[in-house]
Amino acid sequence: MRKLFVYLTLAVGFLSPLFAQENSSQAESFYRAGQYAQALAAYEQDLKLYPNNPYLYYNIGNCYFKMGSKGLAIANYYRAFKLNPRHADIRHNLELALSSGGDTLVPTGIPPAVHRAFFSLSLAQLKGIVCLVGWLVCLLTGIWLLTRKGGKLTLAAGIVFVACASWYYMLHTWEKQPLAVIAAPAAELRSGPGTNFPASASISQGHLVQVLDSKDQWQQVVVRSEGLKGWVESSALEHI
Amino acid sequence: MKKFLLLLCCLCVSVAVQAQVLLKASTDKTDLALDDDLTLTVQVSGVSGTMVMPQLPSLPAFNIYAREAEQSTVNGRTTLLFRYVMVPRFVGSTSIGPIKFNYQGKTYQTEPIAIRIYKTAVPPTAQKQTTPAATNTAAKATDTDVNQLPPLEQELATRAYAHPNQIYFLTAATSQKKPYVNEPFTLAVRFYYAGAFYDAFYKNPEVSNLLLEEAGETQGQQTLHGRVYQYTEKRYRVSGVAPGQATIGPATVTYRVGSVNGSLLDRFFGGAAVSKEESVSSLPFKLTITSLPQEGKPESFYGAVGGAYTLSAKLDRDHAEAGEAVTLSVTVQGTGNLKTTSDLVFPEIPGFTAYPAAPQTGNVAGSTTRNYKVFQTVLVPTVSGSYTIASIPWSYFDPQTARYKTLNTRPLSLEVSPSSHTANALDFGAAGHTGSGIQTMGHDIRYILTVPTEHTSWLARLPQWKWMHALVLGWLALCLFIASIGRRTAQRKHAYTQAKAQLKKAHSYEDISDALATYLLQKWNISTASLPLKSIVQALARHNVPAAQCEEFSTLWKDLESARFSPAQSDPNALAQFSQRAQNLLKNWENLK
Repeated sequence: MRKLFVYLTLAVGFLSPLFAQENSSQAESFYRAGQYAQALAAYEQDLKLYPNNPYLYYNIGNCYFKMGSKGLAIANYYRAFKLNPRHADIRHNLELALSSGGDTLVPTGIPPAVHRAFFSLSLAQLKGIVCLVGWLVCLLTGIWLLTRKGGKLTLAAGIVFVACASWYYMLHTWEKQPLAVIAAPAAELRSGPGTNFPASASISQGHLVQVLDSKDQWQQVVVRSEGLKGWVESSALEHI
Repeated sequence: MKKFLLLLCCLCVSVAVQAQVLLKASTDKTDLALDDDLTLTVQVSGVSGTMVMPQLPSLPAFNIYAREAEQSTVNGRTTLLFRYVMVPRFVGSTSIGPIKFNYQGKTYQTEPIAIRIYKTAVPPTAQKQTTPAATNTAAKATDTDVNQLPPLEQELATRAYAHPNQIYFLTAATSQKKPYVNEPFTLAVRFYYAGAFYDAFYKNPEVSNLLLEEAGETQGQQTLHGRVYQYTEKRYRVSGVAPGQATIGPATVTYRVGSVNGSLLDRFFGGAAVSKEESVSSLPFKLTITSLPQEGKPESFYGAVGGAYTLSAKLDRDHAEAGEAVTLSVTVQGTGNLKTTSDLVFPEIPGFTAYPAAPQTGNVAGSTTRNYKVFQTVLVPTVSGSYTIASIPWSYFDPQTARYKTLNTRPLSLEVSPSSHTANALDFGAAGHTGSGIQTMGHDIRYILTVPTEHTSWLARLPQWKWMHALVLGWLALCLFIASIGRRTAQRKHAYTQAKAQLKKAHSYEDISDALATYLLQKWNISTASLPLKSIVQALARHNVPAAQCEEFSTLWKDLESARFSPAQSDPNALAQFSQRAQNLLKNWENLK
């Protein structure tokens, strides 16, 4: 019985990528045929197996974009961008989707080259580099302690480590900021958390907002492109 | 002058027009069945000031269940709208006589309206031969009139005969005995009285497996056993929840009647009469709720049971841009209970993203039996082009024919033009089967990517190597430990050389003491600063220093302190001697095993 269980576990482990592969090719067929809802369902099925796959988020974003749900498309492109910021297609589609709502990926005042350099590594990759440099610093420090040689190299490695750690901290802070996107066709920005407060603005689908606070079914947000601040119903938002 | 006269004429004409009062009366139908209701609308326009009610004629053929009044003023002209919902009491031809309205000393009146009331909802032509005048029948209502009453009133009247010689009693009856699930029917509770009372309070009956909703109140008169009774009737709209048995508990009316049985004291202080509270209840009864047939049940059936349903659909506009929201509303109206029905499922409309909204329900203005439900969905077209939104079906069960019937909305047209709000005139989506297909696209999103099963880079996997962290930290700790030990050994090894060099360069007794102290610290980790001489000697003994050498150190240390702190005893040659003694002592210690 135990053996059977082990064999079954191994079989599932080996076969699940094959099923996923088949699912993805089926999704692509749907997408090519313009059946975006079916393609979306297939990709979302895959996402349950690979929750951190940037390509799945990218493809899901494409499906939403084609179905006209710009807000949900942006949310998924953003998730893909966080996982793989260097990929040109992901960056292109995210910039295109954001530009249709008046938003930009690169904040005003920051040179695009700096932005690209900052996002040349994902948080997970940067964490790997911090680990690698950290190990190197430890190794060199040990050698220096024993032999009193290679002091300058150890110091240089230490400086690189501090720089990478700072970069990691900044990227981590950026990733953890509570961002959301307007997913409903339009959302009303109110002065308080309730319909009894007057609406000050109507925000169309696809605008990026920063979430500041939440009360019951309402969230306090700042619209990044306009600098407006107010309360929006939670159902109109898609958190990134 | 001419202009002034012209202006004056215009003013007079406008005042005359404003002063004209119009009185109109109309009904929503002139032929109706006994179980139907009639809405009489009286419109008075061109009045101002306080609202005055019109005077209705005697309406013996109807019970008035609801009254509504509306007032609107446009450009100083006030229009009053009065609605009366009436339920017929007798079969036959009758009329609503002239309705009068007094205003500023004048009396206005409407033309009579002829109404025909049929026993059932069959075509009027089949009933013409057997319809006596309703007005005459109503005027002469006696014990023998029961057979001409509508079924529900007939049952109420028949039940009333079971209470002979009672001054106050309550009867209740329903219009259906075996209703279908969710089929609306009427529960009437009638309070008969042939004497005075006051402060009457109705307690609604307790029900099980039924939904109960109040539907109005009316008064009337009936002769039973030759005695004239007045009655107050409350009606409820009822519908069954689930198949099976349902119960309607007793309804109760509590009232106060006058009495002369008060004490002398009561009479003196409170008057001659003292009231007492009494109550009467109706009998409880049971109903059987019939389940709906499964055969022939359409997919578009959402639970509505009833009749006279109408279905309509509309868009809030017939032209929109791609990406703009358009609201599609589907309205159902009928006599059934629509509140308990499920929400209409809008079919998927190609080329649109749909966002369904919560439906709204309510009663049709001026009717106690008709209600409506409005289903709305926000449609966002993704591609420009000409669209036709196909018919939307909605089915109900007709209890009269015991069959399901399906209504369809008419197809709706919508023109969608390319969006002018997005950058580069983007038109989201490009599904071939949805729009006209050809668009001038500035840019489009890039195609989907092939999804690799393994996508994590080796760099991203590094932090998962927890053993590597432990290994590196272990390495660092080991190096620190080894380095620390090496430093101690080196210090011990070089202690004599260092102390000897210090002694050779000594220029004061203090330098000699420091050299000795440094040697002791580095060689045996004995701190001379924190220990008294006795303890230092004991520490030396623990390091296997012979007693003679310990004594020698003790003497030397004391002499050095004396030399340092007693300058009078100091000798220039003594410094060299002290240095030599210290060197000899250290040499002996170095030779120790």
